[in-house]
Amino acid sequence: MRAQEIVWRETEGWSRTGAAADAGVVLYFGARQTLADGARYNELRTLYPNARIIGCSTGGQIQTDDVGDDMVAGIALSFDATKIKSAIETIAGPESSRTCGEAIGRALQADDLSGIFVLSDGLNVNGSHLVAGITGVIGDRVPLTGGLAGDGALFEQTLVGADCAPRSHTIAALGFYGSAIRIGHGSAGGWDVFGPRRRINRSYGNILHELDGEPALDLYERYLGDDSKGLPGSALLFPLQISHPERPDHELVRTVLSVDRAARSMTFAGDVPQGWNARLMRGNFDRLAAGAADAARLSQLRATDRGESDQVAILVSCIGRRLLMGQRVTDEVEAAGAELGARTSRLGFYSYGEISPHAVSGHCELHNQTMTVTAISESAG
Amino acid sequence: MHKLFAKQLAKATGPSGKVDIEKLAVMVGAAYDDADNDRRRTDRSMSLMIEEVDQLNRGLEQQVDERTAALNEREQQLRAQNLRLDAALSNMSQGLAMFDGDARLLICNQRYIEMYGLSPDVAKPGASLRDLLNHHSLNNVFTVDTDKRVSEVLESIDNGKRTGLVIEMLDGRTIAVVRQGMPGDGWVATHEDITDRRRAEQQIAHMARHDALTELPNRVQLREHLAIALERVQRGEHVAVHYLDLDHFKTVNDSLGHPVGDELLKAVAGRLRHCVGKTDTVARVGGDEFAIVQTGVDRPTDAAALAQEIREAIRAPFDINGHVVIVDASIGISHAPTDGIETNVLLKNADMALYRAKADGRGTYRFFEPQMDARMHERRKLELALRSALSNNEFELYYQPLIELNGDDVSGCEALIRWHHPELGMVPPLDFIPLAEEIGLIAQIGEWVIRRACEDAATWPDHVKVAVNLSPIQLTSQSLVSVVMNALARSRLQPQRLELEITEAVLMRNTEEVLATLHQLRSLGVRISMDDFGTGYSSLSYLRSFPFDKIKIDRSFIKGLPDNDSIAIVRAVTGLARSLSMTTTAEGVETHQQLDQVRALGCTEMQGYVFSPPMRLNELLLLFARDVSPHATGTA
Repeated sequence: MRAQEIVWRETEGWSRTGAAADAGVVLYFGARQTLADGARYNELRTLYPNARIIGCSTGGQIQTDDVGDDMVAGIALSFDATKIKSAIETIAGPESSRTCGEAIGRALQADDLSGIFVLSDGLNVNGSHLVAGITGVIGDRVPLTGGLAGDGALFEQTLVGADCAPRSHTIAALGFYGSAIRIGHGSAGGWDVFGPRRRINRSYGNILHELDGEPALDLYERYLGDDSKGLPGSALLFPLQISHPERPDHELVRTVLSVDRAARSMTFAGDVPQGWNARLMRGNFDRLAAGAADAARLSQLRATDRGESDQVAILVSCIGRRLLMGQRVTDEVEAAGAELGARTSRLGFYSYGEISPHAVSGHCELHNQTMTVTAISESAG
Repeated sequence: MHKLFAKQLAKATGPSGKVDIEKLAVMVGAAYDDADNDRRRTDRSMSLMIEEVDQLNRGLEQQVDERTAALNEREQQLRAQNLRLDAALSNMSQGLAMFDGDARLLICNQRYIEMYGLSPDVAKPGASLRDLLNHHSLNNVFTVDTDKRVSEVLESIDNGKRTGLVIEMLDGRTIAVVRQGMPGDGWVATHEDITDRRRAEQQIAHMARHDALTELPNRVQLREHLAIALERVQRGEHVAVHYLDLDHFKTVNDSLGHPVGDELLKAVAGRLRHCVGKTDTVARVGGDEFAIVQTGVDRPTDAAALAQEIREAIRAPFDINGHVVIVDASIGISHAPTDGIETNVLLKNADMALYRAKADGRGTYRFFEPQMDARMHERRKLELALRSALSNNEFELYYQPLIELNGDDVSGCEALIRWHHPELGMVPPLDFIPLAEEIGLIAQIGEWVIRRACEDAATWPDHVKVAVNLSPIQLTSQSLVSVVMNALARSRLQPQRLELEITEAVLMRNTEEVLATLHQLRSLGVRISMDDFGTGYSSLSYLRSFPFDKIKIDRSFIKGLPDNDSIAIVRAVTGLARSLSMTTTAEGVETHQQLDQVRALGCTEMQGYVFSPPMRLNELLLLFARDVSPHATGTA
């Protein structure tokens, strides 16, 4: 496999590093405002006429060690022995998440399916249901990674496209086939839980109403103080760790998508089941960066001799981490990069949700507030 | 240089190497803001969290306080409950011990400890059943095979049944133990001292088989012993049954009182026991009746010898509370297998032989004979017939006239009862009056006689009296006076025309009671005669004890006339009567010679065949109609 890093800047247009003649796949990430008119897609289509071109809007792009909002970060990949297939679905709303997931799964399912990378609308979806829909068809054996598109800290509209200009209400995925492809993955948070353990008294799907008998939004507003003006984005400063009362070690992190000030409820990117336990989390710059390094290391655990093949690492990190860390967000990108090494092309984006197998259970899930690393290469053989 | 500042500086440095200060300042400023915000958020969240944790802590503390209070209250309730339970256990009359599934003591009460003389060290919670049982054996409380008992107990508990056993303690106490499995595991055992109850039961069992007065076996045990003895008869042995009745025991009771009578019976029992062999049985079967089962009878004379020995033993004077009492015994003997080999048959036959002995004058013994059975059968038949004779109107009164010797007029008639049985024909009074007395019919028959005699006499000429014989039993009856009053009232007979005749024997017992009755009758106006004078003790004291209206001289003296002795006696009696203002009647005058003599000797009246035998009422009425005198008829 050969990788060609491609970057677009307003002042400079597209610039390319490396060789990827007749690339089969192009991935690209950019701010909604940059992608909305379809011009970037059209330019890429001209540059890579035979490639599957898949991309989305973000909460910030990662390009090597840099994090920025203005550029478009992309990569073009040429595979030696791997077939690629893309799928795209339009989603009407969160309630269709499972059926859309199942449709994606069915579109990509094949005996030699070796991995799926999915990009989904970040607002009109229940990420947990989407993942469950896909894994319901392809099973847990095939790694499923990816993320939900972002919209900076605005949470207004997200765009996704596969072989078309990015648009709202869209889910797109790439299927990798054959035995040569190597997909490593890692996911880690690095957040610290704090405060008392609370009980989810009332919730419905991904809508949380009450914690310990108190409206969830009341609790968040109290903790956010002045930051509560920035809701729902500022709620990302305090992710929620949830766990089943009987399986307390199997923890999931949930991040807020929207709030309903009238109902005093909050909508999360994944389910918050009633009866589960919940604890607030807060981030420490150093430990978040260490978390990102963990994710990168996990993605390399099963790395084999890849010979001449390039390796590309797609970093999908949560918008909440960026909002908290500010300019220090580059710390986590650098920490992940240090683990992956200079020979690995790195790009990615800040998302509204990360998709990766769980570090403990191996079960594919939607994560929030994590750094998720998907490492792609082809084996030497 | 700080890593971040290095980055910021790099970003602010243009391709020419010129630093854009303004750009750098914006980035550095923003970094400061980030740091400020982070610190502010950290402070805020820390203080909120502390507040929350504090609040939680307070909530927990309160919860702990509430739970502690609830626990304390519960503990108090449990303590009170335990005290009540302790009180209940301590005040139980039964011993109680509770064991767990491993047969270890959970709890026991003081009564349990006392009952078995356990030390508190041994009977403490956790002690095994085996230890407790061993302790019992060591302390000689009761002997038990510990291993066997433990496995029995565990087995019975496993079966879930309520089980009980009785422990005979070495000190004579009896303890009843009841075990009941408890829900879950273990069992509870109650121990009750049933020594008193057991003794009472034994006492009752003893009473059921013994006579309370003499402590001899009673009729129940007699039958058992006889049945056992009769089993030996099947193997060729011989057995005799003696039925014994004290002669005139009633007289002892009446004259000396029941306490003396009871002591006599005890003394008799003692002598009887001395007379018989170890394998023989002496039983008391009734008031003054005893029975003896004599085993090892080789010859018929063995039974006779015992009977004789018994009689001799009984006849020796008894000293009862300072009274010298002399009694004799009548004995009936039956013999097995000769007279039967069944209990009932032998007892019945001995009884019949006794009856015979009594009938033969008492103070003797008789062996059973088959004809006794027949005679007894006859007697039964007669008894049944007699019981229905009154209602069947089978009695009739005959009258024998009494002639006043002064004017040769009929002055009265003696009523004499006759029984016409449809099959047996005429039954003589001597055959049925003793039977009626024996079976208690005499009062009814006597009442009928009095009533009938009064009614008949009311139809006679006014100067003719009617004489009625009273049985000694009638005289001791409470109702005699009212019977006489009713008879007089119904017949409208003048009381002076009724003469009641009593014999000396009546005065021989219950004298005071009889005299009181006689005085009451006398106060009604009724006349009282002394009948058959001279046949008994003829004690003058009897004549002085009551002012009789008349003395009837017994026919034996009249029959003896005209020899000198009889003349002297008749003269003495008439003289005595005159001096006591009594009239005299000569009974059984059969010849004109006798008639002349009794007249000459001063008798007031005479009665006999020389004038008339007893006759039926209608014949008597014909006699009255003819208004005849003895001289006119002259029949003999």
